[in-house]
Amino acid sequence: MTLEIFRAIAMGIPWTLAVTVVAFSIGAALGAPLCAMRFSSFAIFRHLASALTLILRAIPPLVWLFFIFFGLGFGYLQISPFEAAAAGLGLIAAANMAEIYRGAVAAIHHGQWEAAFALNLSTRHRFLDVIAPQLLRVALPSGATYAIGLLKDTAIASTIGVSEIAFQAYHTSQRTFHSLDVYAIAGCLYILISLPMAWATRWADVHLRARVAR
Amino acid sequence: MSANPVLEGEASTRRASEEPLLRLDAVHKRYGAFEAVAGVDLKVKPGEVVAIIGPSGSGKSTLLRCINQLEPPTSGRVVVGDVVIDADREPSRRELMQLRRSVGMVFQSFNLFPHLTVLRNVSLAQERVMGRSRKQADEVSQQLLARVGLADKANQYPNRCSGGQQQRIAIARALALEPQLMLFDEPTSALDPELGLEVLAVIRELAENGMTMIVVTHEMHFAESVSDRVIVMADGRIVEEGPSAQVMRNPTSERAKRFLRAVAER
Repeated sequence: MTLEIFRAIAMGIPWTLAVTVVAFSIGAALGAPLCAMRFSSFAIFRHLASALTLILRAIPPLVWLFFIFFGLGFGYLQISPFEAAAAGLGLIAAANMAEIYRGAVAAIHHGQWEAAFALNLSTRHRFLDVIAPQLLRVALPSGATYAIGLLKDTAIASTIGVSEIAFQAYHTSQRTFHSLDVYAIAGCLYILISLPMAWATRWADVHLRARVAR
Repeated sequence: MSANPVLEGEASTRRASEEPLLRLDAVHKRYGAFEAVAGVDLKVKPGEVVAIIGPSGSGKSTLLRCINQLEPPTSGRVVVGDVVIDADREPSRRELMQLRRSVGMVFQSFNLFPHLTVLRNVSLAQERVMGRSRKQADEVSQQLLARVGLADKANQYPNRCSGGQQQRIAIARALALEPQLMLFDEPTSALDPELGLEVLAVIRELAENGMTMIVVTHEMHFAESVSDRVIVMADGRIVEEGPSAQVMRNPTSERAKRFLRAVAER
């Protein structure tokens, strides 16, 4: 019986991973321009970026998913539950990643910019060769912590019908009435996925962190 | 250079006829109501070594940073070779590139790139700015590292090097771009005395080889023995200026006397 329950819930693992990976990728990518806007010399971009960040972060993820899937999805936009979940969580991740990048920029010693200026590196090379490699190293631990948090947040995608772990667990418990076992197993699965992520982060952090100037 | 009286006469006539490499006209730098640099005029001829001394907060470092526009002056003019930067108008990107191309800078806090090996630290700007191939750049870097006595550190990361070694690497990095003028912003202030000496030895060697340099420093002996000219700054102004020995031993202005007396009493 337990094995059957496990099998049923495990069917959700690929969807949980898919929502996490796609949403995090969207966030990590869109977070960069959003962060760059906050450092823009044009006030309009700075205000726009802080407004976007505020809106994305102040509204609960569940409301965002309902807004996209039931709201926009109802007649305005052809969207599948998976797409809606990835887009919603991805946009929220972008706002959070932008803040993480912003903190990382502040953590880099100003002497690095000055040395890059004095060596006559162009704006592009200053960023690509000097700042970005260090920025990624500083942002890594917080970024990874956020990714683990995001993994757990994907459970809300079950509410719009993405058949990930929480969705499978809910339906298995409805079918078998072994709710305690079912949710215990679901919980264990989340732990099993988080642990390697946490280990990998710690390993990468130890190996990369030393080479950042602060 | 000044040890030989025959050469000295010759050198000074040669120098007198030469255009200055650097000229500052009435350079001011204000931060709100505070005036960090309050009108400095300065000429530095090719091959000259100028030491700037003075109390903390006297504007020495700010003045140095005005030269390569790391701090754009609020008013006044900076001329390096053919490049004229007037504070009245925004300099074009090209002018800034030209200016920084001929001016190298070494910082108090070294500012090496921690994510790159020592060799790559010296090579990076050669490739990006001068268009050298990686092979060419690395060859030049090896030679420069050998010149500052650190050939064996090429493949280490900066955090494996002592402060003195890091500063010598930073000097090699700046020299790699073949600057005409080198700016040193308190190059030994973050180092203990022994490590400072190895950095000063490198700067001394550059001076002997005719590099034009401006050195902001608290090392009085070094200022006197290496530089041709010493400038004393206080409150954003030059309060004393002249041949090293004269300024250090017989200053004329009250402010310079007070500063040098305080230094001597320590």
